[in-house]
Amino acid sequence: MSRRFDFPGGIHPPTRKARSTREPLREAPLPRRVVLPLTQHRGQPAEPCVAVGERVRTGQVIARPQGRVSAALHASISGIVSAIEPRPVPHPGGLSAPCLVIEGDGSDEWAPMAALAWRTTDTETLHRRLADSGLVGLGGAGFPSQLKARLGEHHAIDTLVINAAECEPYISADDMTLRRHAAEVLEGARLLAHLLGAERILVGIEDDKPEALAALNTAITAAQSPPTIELQVIETRYPSGGENQLIRRLLGRQVPSGGLPADVGVVCHNPGTLWAALAAVRDGRPQVSRVVTLTGEALARPGNVIARLGTPLAELLEDAGLDHERLARLVMGGPMMGQPLARLDLPLIKTANCLIAASAEELPPPPPPRPCIRCGDCETACPVALAPQRLLAFAQAEADDKARELALFDCIECGACDYVCPSHLPLVAQFRAAKDRLRHKDAEAKRAERARHRYECRQARLEREAAEKEARRQARRQAASRPAAQATPRGGAGGQEAVKSLRIAQAAAKAALRKAERALARASDADAATLADLETQRATAEEHLRAAEARLTAAQGDPQNSAEETP
Amino acid sequence: MGIRQTLDNLEPHFHKGGKYEKYYPLFEAVDTIFYSPPSVAKTTAHVRDGIDLKRIMITVWLCTFPAMFFGMWSAGWQANLAIADGYASMGGWREAILMTLAGGHDASSWWSNLVLGATYFLPIYLVNFAVGGFWEVLFAIKRGHEVNEGFFVTSVLFALILPATIPLWQVALGITFGVVIGKEIFGGTGKNFLNPALTGRAFLYFAYPAQISGDAVWVAADGFTGATALSIAFQDGMAALSSQYSWWDAFIGFIPGSVGEVSTLAILIGAAVLLWTKIASWRIMLGVFLGMVATSALFNLIGSDTNPMFAMPWYWHLVVGGFAFGMVFMATDPVSASMTNQGRLLFGALIGVMTVLIRVVNPAFPEGIMLAILFANLFAPLIDHFFVQANIKRRLKRTGATAEETA
Repeated sequence: MSRRFDFPGGIHPPTRKARSTREPLREAPLPRRVVLPLTQHRGQPAEPCVAVGERVRTGQVIARPQGRVSAALHASISGIVSAIEPRPVPHPGGLSAPCLVIEGDGSDEWAPMAALAWRTTDTETLHRRLADSGLVGLGGAGFPSQLKARLGEHHAIDTLVINAAECEPYISADDMTLRRHAAEVLEGARLLAHLLGAERILVGIEDDKPEALAALNTAITAAQSPPTIELQVIETRYPSGGENQLIRRLLGRQVPSGGLPADVGVVCHNPGTLWAALAAVRDGRPQVSRVVTLTGEALARPGNVIARLGTPLAELLEDAGLDHERLARLVMGGPMMGQPLARLDLPLIKTANCLIAASAEELPPPPPPRPCIRCGDCETACPVALAPQRLLAFAQAEADDKARELALFDCIECGACDYVCPSHLPLVAQFRAAKDRLRHKDAEAKRAERARHRYECRQARLEREAAEKEARRQARRQAASRPAAQATPRGGAGGQEAVKSLRIAQAAAKAALRKAERALARASDADAATLADLETQRATAEEHLRAAEARLTAAQGDPQNSAEETP
Repeated sequence: MGIRQTLDNLEPHFHKGGKYEKYYPLFEAVDTIFYSPPSVAKTTAHVRDGIDLKRIMITVWLCTFPAMFFGMWSAGWQANLAIADGYASMGGWREAILMTLAGGHDASSWWSNLVLGATYFLPIYLVNFAVGGFWEVLFAIKRGHEVNEGFFVTSVLFALILPATIPLWQVALGITFGVVIGKEIFGGTGKNFLNPALTGRAFLYFAYPAQISGDAVWVAADGFTGATALSIAFQDGMAALSSQYSWWDAFIGFIPGSVGEVSTLAILIGAAVLLWTKIASWRIMLGVFLGMVATSALFNLIGSDTNPMFAMPWYWHLVVGGFAFGMVFMATDPVSASMTNQGRLLFGALIGVMTVLIRVVNPAFPEGIMLAILFANLFAPLIDHFFVQANIKRRLKRTGATAEETA
């Protein structure tokens, strides 16, 4: 494979996937009680639409999306809603967040949606179905899938990539899903490719998953329906599963800085998401469960389970034979980017693809940081070709603007630099802190900017009122003294100049208003605050225009210039 | 387990409020030598590569061993040869140790040679270690950070680039200057811009030239003058050099010189390990080598009637003086070198070019690589700056900014 078709750097950590791939995918026991956080996705929290004490059935909507970027939430077991209150959730800061608690009745009575045959259903219905089933990306980012399915409306999407790289150590959820359900995943891909208008479906998979690969091959040859699906096997290297890295490796396309894969005509989906999308459409099953890898040396029976959302982690781990003595660290996600969890009484959420119950020898606590010796290992490992050691120096000194200049925001926080650093420096943690500071600063600047726009709007309004008043006064005076004015035409170049410059001002104001209107139209899907700000700017431009028009009318009405007006 | 328990029992005294609070770095140093310390930092990745700073430092230290042991043998052998020729030995306590352990001066006995060499080298090394360690610990206590393993490397490298006969008080002075001025005043390991060992040597070179340069200092026999290969070539030309020593003599290390620098072969063994473990940058070594080859070839082409050094071919430059040692162990010090990959090639090339330039056209300094490396150390940040700026520009071109709307 040529250099162009690859990303720089990368690392080869031990994969440690064997433990969790010995047993086939199994169903976790039905939990007696589930705790469902209202935010299990990117964006705004969902809004509960059931009351405490109400009986709900599995698959019933219990919270509706709020705002544009949000996802619906469904009851994952049948039972009684017992509380809507803050509970501890899997969060890096160990915070609590609003959750909906359901006491199960053990019957698992379903309230499914109608089954749809996607090939014969209109796209709008399909889009709505994806939105109604609360689908989010199951790879870990949790971006609402219905928004990704609509990317085809604004971008020319030619390729749908199935991201089966699963490059982080330990995690095998996608691997096990593909071994069992390759055909469903591919059918899900066809469904989403259909919605996106993508003609090509490409599966990217690392070469350490021969069973999943074989299952995919079988499913591809068995399938008759178009479009055909291409399979591309890549050498195992972390972080191939990063969206942008995978796209670069498979297609040689580079996603622009700060852009989306859609900007280069690609949309990426995780196999689990595709399977869930198909289930939502074909079977009318909203997202109430997910495949999660349970692994680590503190588990006697590691493996992959299909578990209901909201299941307490302790229950899942106990079922897998948790040895409390050996458990030194619990990590949600992979060992590179996952977050450590301080407690076991947390619920399973949509984005939890893996739980590592690690012993102390397995994931030892990091040694204390030493000084940087500028060995450059981090630079060699960085998959986005940054200079982490320089970024670190700037981030530590809080010289964040310099860090931004060195493309801090291109950092994907993959942790490759942390992995290789011989001085055990907390690089990614520092980068995150620097990014947070910068975002905060930008938000402050934006707020100040918006305040300024509001002030300018008020100024413009006062000015416009003054101009109109002046124009009316002028008109009255003219009406009173018309004959006299005709008798003594003062005429003059000065007046002419004034009209000319007023005309220019009017034209400029018109252009500014048009520009503001265009900006507003373009940003139609931005958040409310941005929209309000753009509206303020548009209003300011309008006030300016009206003031300019009033002044012009006044000046043209002025007898000293009227002679010039009618040549 | 015994040590662990003792350390654990002692630890509270070194924490805040304990009676030895000020000496926590000292405790920490002892503790890290035996065990990985227990305190937790918040790195994001939960798995890590096996390599760490301590292991890097220890590997570099071990890589100097071939050169060190060969150097000791060679220093003893040179002295024994001179003594066999009728020169007096230096006498004193060294003689006593030699007599006890090896029974006498005998240039044909490798044991006698090794012991004699060791009586010169080991004291130098011990002084280095003790004085260098003292400063390191002092600064660590003052600053409240942990003692860094870096001084293991600095002290051994500094010991290896000194002549065997150097007075020990000069050694102490040199390492003091190297560690304090070359490193600590800039903030300690990782923040220095000069190679501390070379800074120390440069200090001695200019402060006490009589004991570190010339022809009398290299062989530990009273009154014996044995010029280094470089000064033979400089004074008498290439013909005189090749009549006295064959290239293979110089390559294997049968020539007088600083303890660690005489054997190019032993140094290259260390270099192989450093490159194989990826601890040293191959780019720097390659840069130094190519810079040296290109510049010496240029001088060979130009030629000169008055300066015999013009005629020295690259393969002689490689094996005489401190070139090989500087290329392998000094130029590759990551802290004072360039850190961008392209910059490292350029940084190395600058050293290679400057070394030959100083050796050939600067009559005051027969040995060039020490100054060449210090010179390149000063330029490393500048070299990096240009490559980083170029990278930023290239990156912008490649990834672009987000598609900004144009109204």
